[in-house]
Amino acid sequence: MDHKLELKQLKQFSYERKPIERGYNNRTLYVNVSDQEIKEKPVTEEMKEKFVGGKGFGMKLLWDGTRPDTKWNDPENEIIISPGPVAGITQYPGSGKSLVVSISPATDLPIDSNVGGYFGPYVKFSGFDALEVQGKADREVIVYIDGNEGSVSIDQIAVDTDDAHLISEILTEHYAKDEDDKRNISVVSSGSAAKNSYMGVLNFSFYDPRRQVPRMKQAGRGGIGTVLADKNIKALVVRFAGTKGDLNNSYDYDKVARTGLKLHREIERLDDSLFRMRQVGTANITDTMDKYDLLPVMNFQYGSHEDAKKVYANEFRDNYLTQGFPDGCWYGCSLACAKTADNFELLTGPYKGHKVTVDGPEYENVAGLGANLGIFDPQYVLEANFYCDTYGIDTISFATATAFAMECYERGLINQEHTGGLELKFGNKDAALELLHQMSRNEGIGVQVGRGVRRMKEYFAKEFGADPVLMQDIGMEIKGLEYSEYMPKESLAQQGGYAMANKGPQHDEAWLIFMDMVNNQIPTFADKAEALHYFPIFRTWFGLAGFCKLPWNDIFPENNKYQEEAHKIPEHVQNYVNLFSAVTGKEIDMKELILQSERVYNFQRTFNVRRGYGRRKDDMPPYRSLGPVTKEEYESRAERYDGQLKELFDVDPATMSVSEKIKMMREHREKQYDTLADAVYKRRGWSADGVPTVEHLQEIGMDLPEVLAVAEENQ
Amino acid sequence: MKRLVKDEKVCIECHRCEETCAHAYFKTADIGKARLQVERNRQGEIDITICTQCGKCIQACPVLAISRNPKNGVVYVDKNKCVGCFICVAACPLNAMMRHKDELEPFKCIACGLCTEQCPTQAITLQEVEE
Amino acid sequence: MIKVNNRPFPHEKGMTVRDVLEANKFTYEGLIIRVNDQLVEDRDHIIQDGDDVKVIHICQGG
Repeated sequence: MDHKLELKQLKQFSYERKPIERGYNNRTLYVNVSDQEIKEKPVTEEMKEKFVGGKGFGMKLLWDGTRPDTKWNDPENEIIISPGPVAGITQYPGSGKSLVVSISPATDLPIDSNVGGYFGPYVKFSGFDALEVQGKADREVIVYIDGNEGSVSIDQIAVDTDDAHLISEILTEHYAKDEDDKRNISVVSSGSAAKNSYMGVLNFSFYDPRRQVPRMKQAGRGGIGTVLADKNIKALVVRFAGTKGDLNNSYDYDKVARTGLKLHREIERLDDSLFRMRQVGTANITDTMDKYDLLPVMNFQYGSHEDAKKVYANEFRDNYLTQGFPDGCWYGCSLACAKTADNFELLTGPYKGHKVTVDGPEYENVAGLGANLGIFDPQYVLEANFYCDTYGIDTISFATATAFAMECYERGLINQEHTGGLELKFGNKDAALELLHQMSRNEGIGVQVGRGVRRMKEYFAKEFGADPVLMQDIGMEIKGLEYSEYMPKESLAQQGGYAMANKGPQHDEAWLIFMDMVNNQIPTFADKAEALHYFPIFRTWFGLAGFCKLPWNDIFPENNKYQEEAHKIPEHVQNYVNLFSAVTGKEIDMKELILQSERVYNFQRTFNVRRGYGRRKDDMPPYRSLGPVTKEEYESRAERYDGQLKELFDVDPATMSVSEKIKMMREHREKQYDTLADAVYKRRGWSADGVPTVEHLQEIGMDLPEVLAVAEENQ
Repeated sequence: MKRLVKDEKVCIECHRCEETCAHAYFKTADIGKARLQVERNRQGEIDITICTQCGKCIQACPVLAISRNPKNGVVYVDKNKCVGCFICVAACPLNAMMRHKDELEPFKCIACGLCTEQCPTQAITLQEVEE
Repeated sequence: MIKVNNRPFPHEKGMTVRDVLEANKFTYEGLIIRVNDQLVEDRDHIIQDGDDVKVIHICQGG
């Protein structure tokens, strides 16, 4: 394979190598690809106190570096990659995460996206608590950090491919001194489709010495890959040799090591009998969601399907996924959920016939690319997964956007003429894959799908005369971002969890479906509001510190069932508190942990307000997420819905038409959502319109004058 | 394959084996740094932890820092490659991969036999065993 | 009548925890079962009429 790589250095910057102090370098790296300025910026005590690291640093740097009206494709937009103070320890599972922050092409809001791989920790070991990239290059460049030399350069690049799996290989090969050195290189790249869409991802590579290939994890949501491509940046590369057990120079290294070893043993004892993360990764969730009628099927119309078992986890395990390898996406992760299909032969597209390594499938990929498109074929799921990755496309947004396009086609809102001949019916895997290939080639209806649900609604109405009212109801997007792959339709708490999330409907903030629908643990509005205050704040704390959230509750110790509030996995929460303190030397408790996250959470909401959003109207969900839009949906759960109507309104459903029942249900559910929003905003310390109040910001210590000013102006 | 073999019935708990090992490899009197351990279990019986060179740790290591010497079958940790994650410590079915708070890398028995030379009762011996 | 997660559920004489799980299709691996606020680990435990049964699913997700 010869892809003729040419590199020409445009600018070089040397910096002094210094050891990390208790998890912090106390400086960030700024690179501008317009004027080629490269410099260090200090991290102040106040920044650490109020923003901690990870997403906090990203949001802060983005606020300071942009104007309220900076557009995603202005040179002023930034991409910030920040691990957290704990990131880079090698003992505790899930300790290598970075958060990537940018202004999203999809939402025009700051997006935050979490990612594994080695880039973040290596940049940290190289000397920086964040990499901040701004500007737009006039021809394709890469940024190269050599963490052992103490050197950063901007290099002009010419190479005849845009696709991530090749870029990762080529650049890893180029910078590595030898085979053994390849694991010291990490490459961030987008892909050929990223620039032609609004849902581009960033791929973060990590070299696998057993498979002898760079694998990739993704910073998926919000289109940050599109921003990278727009800036004419082909890749960001770091080389750091010398990863050891305590490069963080932790305050109490032994405590870190003991806590890590404790969890390794717990996983060794219990993973096989719990969620089998080491065997199948997050794909184990597919089986559960289908059985509980929560799997998104055919654009979130239904919750299960008789063919779903064809894509249950064991189908992948038995036929595709290599077993028994230490597959963690950062050192020390014994939960090892990053499965791969090795020597997987591709059947379509420019790499047809190639045997590749596919990282996946994650649950979202099976549920989205598979069930939500009505395609229950594991080979296709892996192939679509591969092409999304290498083309630089978010599997979640692609899945939900394609699901929307397919339903529009099935309902006659668009037709085969509009799609250029593609039969966009549910179940048509060839059509789904062709959409991806079209996105890469920048042609056909694929380009419209790649712009996302919000833009498709506008385009289909304008160009094809499609019914905008029906499309608004079935288009699963909010704030411009596509919903991730869980069915919120019967869980008011999850509807709120998705719709009132800062960045858009991503489930990292709230996953309350079981607590609400199944466990019935949060029956009142007050209970739901409390859960929608606590969980988004707790769950987003991980992204400040550099942790992966999965080892929190995808494994738990034997004695967990005896604990009060067992669903919060108290021993693991204590692990995280202990680890943060053991690395940084800052004693925190649960209360302070929540405050740390609450500060950044409210900062992010205020950032939305600063940009002209962050209000109640921006949190309004499409009706498909709240209840049945169509007759088929109503009838698929008729017993349940009839029962509810009878109980709530004392009517006889037998005497009503389906349309009447749908209308009655809709009025009720929309009202429920409004009432929930009232309760949640109040509990979160926000105004009735969803803006953080000055009092609340001061109370939690997010009282920077510029933040208070925005809040004050918008009450 | 060369490896330690144990016979708890004749052990007199003199701990000379551990002292010899810790001194040889870590220049310390702290027997917590020995690559074999002589203790009592919950039932009060003598329990000697030794490495049987089974190699389960090899597959557990994410950086291929653990490998088997083809000549004598002994399993080694390459300290230079090791990133100190300790997954191997948890993966070892016999608790024979050791961790000590002073050390960033784990350590294990490499069947050198120094301990067996000091054992007064042949409670531990070095033997050629079928793999 | 018994309660399962605070919702009324019909009682049958001799029904066990396992029967309640099957009837509700609670197939999940991470379950904590409490009957009248006592942790119950034996799936053959008999449920009496009027019992308050809680089947808590430890959520994954995300």
